[in-house]
Amino acid sequence: MGDTAVWSEGLTKRYGATLAVDSVDLEVAQGTVLGFLGPNGAGKTTVIRMLSTILEPDAGSFSVAGVSGRDRVAVRERIGVLPESAGYPRHQTGQEWLTYHGQLFGRSVGESRTRAEAWLREVGLEERGSSLIGAYSRGMRQRLGIARALIHDPQVLFLDEPTLGLDPAGQRQILELVSLIARQRNVTVVFSSHLLAEVEEVCEQVLILNQGRVVAHGTVAEVVRTAAAPRTAVVQVPAHDTARAVAVLEHAGVTAAQATQRRAGMIVVGLDSGEPPSSFAGVVLTTLVEADVAVLGLEIEGGRLSDAFLTLTAPS
Amino acid sequence: MSAPTSGATVSPRPGLARSSAVVCRQELRDLWLSGRGIPLLLAFSVLLSVTSYLVASNQALNFLEQRESVNLTLQMAVAVGGLMVLLIAGDGVSGERERETLESLLLTPAPSRSLVLGKAAAALSLWLASFVVTAVYVVFLARGVGIVADALVSGFLVGTLLSVFLAGFGLFISVLSSSNRFSLSVALFALLALFAPSQLPTSAQNGWAGDALLHFDPFTAGLQYLSKVIVDAHGLGSDLLWLVGPAIAAAAAWVALWVASGRLRLTPGRR
Repeated sequence: MGDTAVWSEGLTKRYGATLAVDSVDLEVAQGTVLGFLGPNGAGKTTVIRMLSTILEPDAGSFSVAGVSGRDRVAVRERIGVLPESAGYPRHQTGQEWLTYHGQLFGRSVGESRTRAEAWLREVGLEERGSSLIGAYSRGMRQRLGIARALIHDPQVLFLDEPTLGLDPAGQRQILELVSLIARQRNVTVVFSSHLLAEVEEVCEQVLILNQGRVVAHGTVAEVVRTAAAPRTAVVQVPAHDTARAVAVLEHAGVTAAQATQRRAGMIVVGLDSGEPPSSFAGVVLTTLVEADVAVLGLEIEGGRLSDAFLTLTAPS
Repeated sequence: MSAPTSGATVSPRPGLARSSAVVCRQELRDLWLSGRGIPLLLAFSVLLSVTSYLVASNQALNFLEQRESVNLTLQMAVAVGGLMVLLIAGDGVSGERERETLESLLLTPAPSRSLVLGKAAAALSLWLASFVVTAVYVVFLARGVGIVADALVSGFLVGTLLSVFLAGFGLFISVLSSSNRFSLSVALFALLALFAPSQLPTSAQNGWAGDALLHFDPFTAGLQYLSKVIVDAHGLGSDLLWLVGPAIAAAAAWVALWVASGRLRLTPGRR
């Protein structure tokens, strides 16, 4: 487990009669950004709370940064966490709050203050460090929360829904910050989010949890390949050429013989399950271009992380 | 802008004493610079002014003996000072839970007991500040009868014992409560229940049961000690038995708090 930053086996948690997390096995390599996905109530927060020693597992074992989960204090020294429902003391300044937490991690007042200033700069809050947190926007508070999670140089960072409730610009800022931290500092990041497109962009690996169980774990490409084989494609042509394009495709005997017209200029083409999407796209393009039909766009549907997510978490 | 340097080393683990001091310092700042400390102390001062005016004017009309005036003022100061300590302590942990700031504190390697010890020390500062204010009034009311020193020492002794008890009790309830409302309701109900024996008719205070109740109820016993020293002019060391009840209550509250805070959880009762 030399390069393994987060490892668990059979991690289980019950709340009364409810099985919240059911025997979760996990292995995340050092320096990886893991997208931790799942519908609401899937058990993501419970897993993060167990791995961060806030909750005790009912069964199973885990280690973080090479330290057994039984040594709670040693784990806490090596992790940084932005909890899902992180509260902030409204009457403290950002600088004061970070300094306080630095001291709780065993650093001196002076060192904590210096690090607080550095992290405020890093998360773009250097101008607001002396303002009361109560005056911060939600996005600023989340960035401050990330700074707090990093104040002691953790080896593993858990971010539980860091973009929740943020506007698109705020979401983008947080995602860029996560990418930057992971890239510059070789920190392992476990990133829980519902923003699948962004997770696809930022994370090297994803783990999908549904009803407390792991339903997929691997690189984004692996998960998408196993769970979301493309089924349709949308071809966009000039509106006046729609009928002709449909006829040409059918005449050419493209696998998608049953092309149907959705609306002017948009043609939905069904794929045979065995056909590789890339070769299919090539055939469609060649056929249409040779027939002198301008192709304005071609999009394979069903080949994204969001499709895999929906497939894997669909109610049975 | 470059990121702060990454360090693979872990800082020295913060011990109980150091972490408690860090928490206490922050709690003192929160309480006195931006929290409820100053407004509570102002309200306390106004109340004490009104009380002192009333007892002083009654004294002028010979309705109250001077020693009784001092005793009444001190009793009121001890009771209200203790109540303020209880309010702050009762909010200590359940307030953090309610404001969702507890999780980030629990995620640090600082011992969970240090969070509680630091908060208790900060809550007790409210009693110390109240006593400083009270001392001014006591010196004014007790002038001329030679009881200033005894009044101040006995008031400080009783008030400190009761405040230590209430800080421990309030935080103990707070550790076990998921909401501030519940924590403060239970703490205030308990406070009223502890005051009740002092209001019993004299006939109910007789016999071994009444006597035991008076001695072991921390409030009644503490206030009795004040009366003995100030009104009956007994020496400070003559009636120390009355302080056993408050001391036992304080010790019990802190033992309970010590045990409960060692198992401090994000949600009470959930491992």
